[in-house]
Parts: sequence; structure tokens; C-alpha cells
Amino acid sequence: MSVRPMLADDTTTWRASAREWLRSGNSLPFLLLAPSIFLMLAVIAYPMLTGFYYGFTSGSLLKFGKFVGFDNYIRLLQSTDFLHALWFSFIFAAFNVIGCFALGLGLALLLNQEVPFRGFFRVALLLPWIVPSIVSIVSWRWMMADQHALFNQIIGLFGGSPVYFLSDEHWAIAAVIAIKIWRSFPFMMLSLLAALQGIDRSLYEAAALDGASRWNQFRYVTMPQLRNISIVLCLLMTIWTVNDFDTPWLLTQGGPANATENLVLLAYRYTFGRNDVGLGSAVSFVTLAILMVLVVILLRRQRER
Amino acid sequence: MAYPAPSSRKRWTLFWLLVVITIIVNLPIILMVMNSFQTTEQLVQRTTILPRDLTVANYRYLNERTHFWTFLWNSFTVSGVSTITSAAVAALAGYALSRFRGRLITGYSRALFVVQMFPIILALIPLFMLFRTLGLINSPLSVIILYTVVHLPFATWMARAFFDTIPRELEDAALVDGCSRFGAFVRIVLPLSGPGLAAIGIFSFLFSYNEFFVANVFLRDQDAMTLPVGITMFMQQYSTDWGSLMAAATVTVIPTFILFLGIQKWITYGAVSGGVKG
Amino acid sequence: MNWFGNAPHRGRARALACLAAAALVSLSPLSAQAQEPVKLNFWDMIWGPPEYIDSAKDLVAQFNKEHPDIQVEYRSVPWNNWYQTFVTAISSGTAPDLSTGAGYQAVQLYDQGAIRPIDDVVEELKKDGELADFMPNTVDTLRYDDHYVALPWGIDIRVWFYRKDLLEQAGVKVPTTWDELRAAAKATTKDGRYGVVGSGDTGGSHFLYNALLNNGGGLFTADRKLDFKNERNVEAFEALAGMVADGSVSPASTGYNSDDRRAAFNRGQAAFTLDGPGLIAQAGEQAANIGVVPPLAGMHGDKGTIFWVNNIMVYEQTKHPEQTKTFLKWWSKNQLPLWTKGNSGQLPTRSSIAADDYFKKDAARAYVLEHYVPVGKTTATNAAGIFPALNDLEGEGAMQAFAQELWQGKPVGPIVDTAEARLKSVLKE
Repeated sequence: MSVRPMLADDTTTWRASAREWLRSGNSLPFLLLAPSIFLMLAVIAYPMLTGFYYGFTSGSLLKFGKFVGFDNYIRLLQSTDFLHALWFSFIFAAFNVIGCFALGLGLALLLNQEVPFRGFFRVALLLPWIVPSIVSIVSWRWMMADQHALFNQIIGLFGGSPVYFLSDEHWAIAAVIAIKIWRSFPFMMLSLLAALQGIDRSLYEAAALDGASRWNQFRYVTMPQLRNISIVLCLLMTIWTVNDFDTPWLLTQGGPANATENLVLLAYRYTFGRNDVGLGSAVSFVTLAILMVLVVILLRRQRER
Repeated sequence: MAYPAPSSRKRWTLFWLLVVITIIVNLPIILMVMNSFQTTEQLVQRTTILPRDLTVANYRYLNERTHFWTFLWNSFTVSGVSTITSAAVAALAGYALSRFRGRLITGYSRALFVVQMFPIILALIPLFMLFRTLGLINSPLSVIILYTVVHLPFATWMARAFFDTIPRELEDAALVDGCSRFGAFVRIVLPLSGPGLAAIGIFSFLFSYNEFFVANVFLRDQDAMTLPVGITMFMQQYSTDWGSLMAAATVTVIPTFILFLGIQKWITYGAVSGGVKG
Repeated sequence: MNWFGNAPHRGRARALACLAAAALVSLSPLSAQAQEPVKLNFWDMIWGPPEYIDSAKDLVAQFNKEHPDIQVEYRSVPWNNWYQTFVTAISSGTAPDLSTGAGYQAVQLYDQGAIRPIDDVVEELKKDGELADFMPNTVDTLRYDDHYVALPWGIDIRVWFYRKDLLEQAGVKVPTTWDELRAAAKATTKDGRYGVVGSGDTGGSHFLYNALLNNGGGLFTADRKLDFKNERNVEAFEALAGMVADGSVSPASTGYNSDDRRAAFNRGQAAFTLDGPGLIAQAGEQAANIGVVPPLAGMHGDKGTIFWVNNIMVYEQTKHPEQTKTFLKWWSKNQLPLWTKGNSGQLPTRSSIAADDYFKKDAARAYVLEHYVPVGKTTATNAAGIFPALNDLEGEGAMQAFAQELWQGKPVGPIVDTAEARLKSVLKE
């Protein structure tokens, strides 16, 4: 019969200790993270679990399917479409990361100099990022679509014969990568510029006093200072490129003959084109798994150094 | 790294180099602006690259016959609010990552990576059902929440990097004066973080302003649509009103361009710097 | 372009509607017990240029005025990711009461339990003698599983167009058979111009459907099994490949989308293309240079082309089936302004609407209505009526990829095999 008072006692102590915990410094990290943890649980965790489950079923978008175990994953590994999309995603990410990093770094170095109207250029070079992709990519299409388009007129000036960029597998792959680089370099440029401006100027002064050439200043001062941020930026860009839908979809819809179809387009095609949610989810989770492995490896290496 | 200050000749050489680069890089956008002064009919029939017989018909059409200004206003509200929310949430989380260590922090940091990698296409239908029960379909809140989450990892890393540059000694002094840890954050660290937060805001804004995929699912009503979704109303099943689309894109870009010219000096605070791990 | 004409008119209509509503409310002594009007959601795809949406809204306003107890809310749905739009809405319980949709949407959604069959509507139309007003082949195309899953409203069809100027320059006559088309394409290929321009998108796959149906082929057997590699189909693919081998097909075709293809044709860069009946109306000042090729005789004398019966469907989720039926019947009967004011690119399914002067004045459209529509066939051929897998077949992209490879000039044998394998996996055979 003495349970009740005990319970009340428990509650008060629980409340008191909670209050104390909240007041103490220990709770602060949790409180600081609470809003974002809540958002992440609500918006990401729940859909992720349902999506993971779908990967093991044979349903369509409106009908619940049967549980089919690993069937979808087995079908994927046997499909040439999937292997091609995997390969293209890899090529797409590798070339884009290298390309937009090089372009972004070059422009960031230029914009880090004292140039008249520097502020204007900083913003003008951001434009590819600001323009809605649906329109900027159409503009690109019109520059390369046929024998009368701008690029072919330029090729014609040099006596070359017209290139049908979007009709040939190899050219189409090159075009998708080039336009992705064009769309992503502003982010690299901006981030690297910020990092460049954060480098302590006295480091350069010391190097200059030691008689280091401009190249050596770049190599031994700038590059090491940019190393960490570069790894992070490239990692992020890899993730974004692998998950990019707009560029290949708006430029080629994955064509010609699926040459420019990446894993996201494949997931989209399976889910909405073929109405096979299980297979689509499986593609997404394989993508996620590959990215996770990649991130873990890269971050480990970064920590080791 | 330009020491001593470069000669004016060198500066102007760089200037012209940048002019050429800017023009080449923005060529598709320059063509877009020029094409916005052509009707779709003219665009389709033109054999030259340069436009002829300029017309403002597309702009008049946007103004008089479409919900363009609603779309633009929605875009600004959605990006503006999600910029503020993600900067706020990221500032709190970034501060935690910068100042504390422990299992919670490590776990959180890993979760951020998963969020960053998560293909949003997978989440669309479950999220749609969730938001419907909350009555958020066709409400700007739905996309604001999503943008906040999607940008959270990057914004948090940026905030963390910025807080890393603010010396701890300042807070320690406040703690000695009897301030709580949170009080020190609010009174000492935040006031110093204006530029960093502004940089986070710029990135968040850029991420949200052009987002199509998410907005397309959740904003189905013409009164709720943001610009990237709204302009798909110019597309029929097998043909598209390119002239109006180009004009819409041009008007979309101008306010952002001007806004950024005004705040571009804050951009330089936007480094994520090294450690994104816990 | 008539961009500024309608606005004041619309305002007036709305004011009138308000007045009428106000008058009704104040006059009726029963208004106190009168029920709230039933609200219906009607989602309409964008079936034409911008004025289409205005004309459809006006029409809805007119209905609302005539039926104070039913208030229909109109929403136009962009084509971009339309399937996603409907599926997310249905799966979350926010489907409209009724919507328009392309070809196979109704039957596919029906198969997943989302569509309410309209057998009762068809029955009533039959009783009223209105069913005979629909063109042959339209209502029954939408019959699946012994139910009518939707009511036809518009026809989309693919026909061959030619450039009068280019044919004249090359001194060739308008072809009447496939062999003549191939010869004419070859003759008009010169000076950087090509005989035929195709595309690599969905519109590109229409060339394939057109060719095989024109040759008396079909994708399916009568019992809905894939029959991709039958003799007639392969012959048709080889005929197209032959034109590519002749060098008569623009090499840009693979990378073109339908907009690019139409633009190239309108600029006079190719003599022939396959497109919808609205092409000439959208060609502006080039319209006079463009003509419709008569239905070609295939290699065995067959005629035929691909067509889709676009339709209106009612959703299972509707809470007011009776009122929805009322609106559906009214809409079907009164939709003439969608063409006369809205300039929709579709062809009407009702003879009474097709008989309007609007279609008589447009010679090309009248020609297509008279000569092409009767030979129109669906992708379901040779099965009767449409069935759910057709949506996957068109949406999945196997036929687009096939068209792209065909335009690239790859040998027909292997690409037919690839396409067949992909289609089989789509259709889960």
C-alpha cells in the first residue's frame, strides 16, 4: 500500500534530477542538438525506414506488395542497366569533382587578387548556380543540338565537320559532365575563396622573406592550408553529383540508349516509369551504401594523417 | 597572396581576363536573356544565333496573364524563411560540435553525413503522407521544413568551422563572471558570428531558391508554387512556351543578382574548413 | 497571339456569377435550410496553349453558375512528373473527384484500385442517345475488365507532315506509300537539309509505333502477350532503318526532343516529320509551307497510325459520385470552347463538336479527322482495348532508347533484341 507515495516520490526525484540535469552544463550539447535531431528523425529517419522496407517487397506505388526478400537486389545485380548506371555514376562523379574543383580553385585564386570590380565578378560567376536549371540546361541544349547550333558554327569556322553532341554516346557523356561542372564550380569557387581569405597573411610574408617564389608560396603555403577543406568539399561534391537528377534528366533524359543514365535516374525510371517501387528503392539503397563506404574510407584517411 | 600590392597594369590585365572568363562562363545565360526578348514562334523559326525583332511580349505575358509575381513572392518567402531557420538550427548544432566532445556528438556527426547522402526521391511518398496528416500540403511550411533539413549538414559544418575560429577564452572569461554556458553562447559568441551566419544564409538561400524536385511534389496549387515549379505551367505535353520560360528565368535571376551584389562581402566567411567529423 | 483579350471578359463572368449566387441566396425563402453546395475538385492537364487554361476555367465557372448546388474547383496540372502528382495524391487520400489524363492513366490507376468505373454514365449516355455522338473506336477503347474506366474527351494522333517548298524544289510529289516516302526523303536530302527529322524522346518512339501500325503490325497478340518481333513489325523497323541508311534522316535526331524536332522542321531543315494535329496551327508564318501527307499505304497496302484516346476519369476517393457524374456529363457535352477559345491541340471525340465550323475552317485538322482518325490504333494493337501495362511500356523508356539507337544507324537485329528483352522485363513476362 505504500506504493503510491513511493511513486510520487520517484516522480519528484525524477523531475528534480531532470531539472538539475537541464541546469547543469552537461545537458547543453543535447539541448543544442535537440531541434536538429528532431527534424532529422521526422523527415529522414521515418521515410528511410519505410523505403528500406519497400526494397524487400514487390509492390507498386499504390498497392502494397509481397515480401520478396533479396529478390530485388538480386535482380539488380543481374541487370546490365544497373551496372551501366553504376559505372556512369562513377565516371560522372569523378570527372565532375576533378573538373569543378580545378575550375573553382583557379577562379578563386584569380578573385583573391586585387582586381577592379572584384565584388561584381564574384557574383557574376555565381550565376550558373542561380539560374533555374530547367532553363540554363535548355540554353546549353540549343548551343549544341544540331549542325546549325553555336558550337557547330564555331567548329565550322575552323573547318571542322559538325558534331552531334547529344546523338553520340561519348559526346553526350562529355556534355553531361561539362554542364555539371559548369553548374557546380560556383560552389567550389565560393567555398575556396572563403578559405583563401581565411589564410593568415603573415604566412605569405614569412615565405616571401625566405625568398620563396610565387609557385612555392602556392605549393607550400596555400595548398596545405586548403587541404582539409578541399577534402571536405570534394566529398560533398561527390555526394551531390551521385545524387544529381537535373543535369542528365534535362539534357539527355539518360540517352542516347541510356548512356547517360545514372543511379538516380535509374531509380526514378524503375519507381515511376516501371511502377516498381521495390526495385527503385533497392537502387537508392545500394547508392546510399556505396556513398557511405566511400565517406567512411575518406574520413578515416583524413583522420590518419 | 598578392604581396607587395600589384601594379595597376597587372590589375587591369587580370580585370580583362576576368571579363572574358565571365562572358564565356555566362554565355548560356546571356543567350537566355537575349532569347527572352523573342516569342516562342520566333525562337522556333530563327536560323541565326542572335535575336532579331526584339519584343517584350513575353514579359507582358508574364505580368498580365500568369501568376508569375505569386511564384516569385513564394520563392522569396520559402527561401528566406528556410534560410533563417537553417541558420538558426545550424548555429546551435554547430556550436555544440565546435565546443563539446562525446558519444552524442560523434553519433550526431555521422547522422549528418547520412542526411547529406540520403536520396530525397526515396522519401517523397512517405513524407507526402506524413505532411498530409499534418495538413502541410500546399503550404510553404512543408518545403521550408524539408529545405532546413536537407541543408542542415552543410550549414552545421560551416557554423562549426566559424565557431572554431572564435577563441574559447572569451567564453571562459564570461563563465568566470558567472554566466551559464548557454548565456556565454548567446551573449558572447553569437554577436561575433554575424558574418559567419550571413555566409551560411547565402549558401542556404542559393540551395533553396532553385530547388525543383521537392517543391514540385509538395506545392501543387498555383497560389503556393515557387518559381521553378510555376514555370512548368508553360509546358504542354509535347511542347513548351520557351519564350515565356526564358523571360521568367531572367526575372528570377535579377533580384537575386542585385541582392548578392549588396551582400557579397559576407560570402568570404563561408568556409566549411577541415574537420567535419565529431 | 491573342494574349490580352480575355481578362476583362473573365472578370465580368465572375461578377455575374457572384451576382447570380447572391440573388439565389437572398431570393430563396428556403435558403436557411439549403445545404452547402457540394465541392468537387477537377484536375485538368494542360491540353493546349495558355488560353486553354482560361477557357477551361471559364467553362467551369459557367457550370458552377448553372448548378448552384455543385461548386467545382478547377486546377491545371503541369505535365512535368504528372504520374508522380497523381500517385502521391491518391496514396495520401487527396485525389481529386475527377481528372483528365493521357492514354493509359485511367486503366493503370483503375488496376490499382483508384478509379471508379463509369459504366452507369455510359449506360445513361446510351439511353439518351448521346453515345452515338462519340466517334467509333473511342468509348470502347477505354473498356477494360468489362468496365468503362473513363470517358473519352480528346484524340491525340500522329500524322506525317511535309514541307511544300522542299518537295517542290526537289521536284517530288507528295508520297502515298511507304516506298514513295522513302524515295521522297532521299530526293529531298541535299544542301545540308534532310528528308526526315526524328527525335529521341517519347515523340521519337511514336515514329516506331506509326511505322509498325502502318505496316499492319502490332506490339501485342490478341491475348495481350508481347509480340514485338513479328514479321510486320520487323519489316517496319527495317523500313525506318533503311531511311537512316540512305542518309535521309537528320543525324541530330537522336539528341533532339520533340520541341527541337518541330523547330528544325519549321525552319525547313527537313522535308518530313511525324507530329500531332496541332503542328500547323503552331507553326506561325510557316503554316502555309506545311501540308499533311495522306495516310500512307504500307508495304502490304495497310493503313494505320498511332492514336491515343485521352479521357476523363472519376476517382474512387470521391465522396460525391452523383454530383461528379453530373459534372462529367455536362463537361463532355459542353466542351466546345476548349477548342474555339482554348485552341486545344487535341481532336474532339464527339461528332457534334467536330462538326463545328472551327474544325471546318482548319483544313489540316479537318483532313486528319476525316482520313487519319478512322485508321488510328492504340499501342495495345492487336489486343482489344487498353490495359495497365501500356503505361509502363510508354513510361519506361525502352522504346525511346530503341528509337535513339535506330536514328544512330545501328543494325536493326541487335537493337530489336535489346528492346524486346527490356520490354519483356517491363511487362514481367
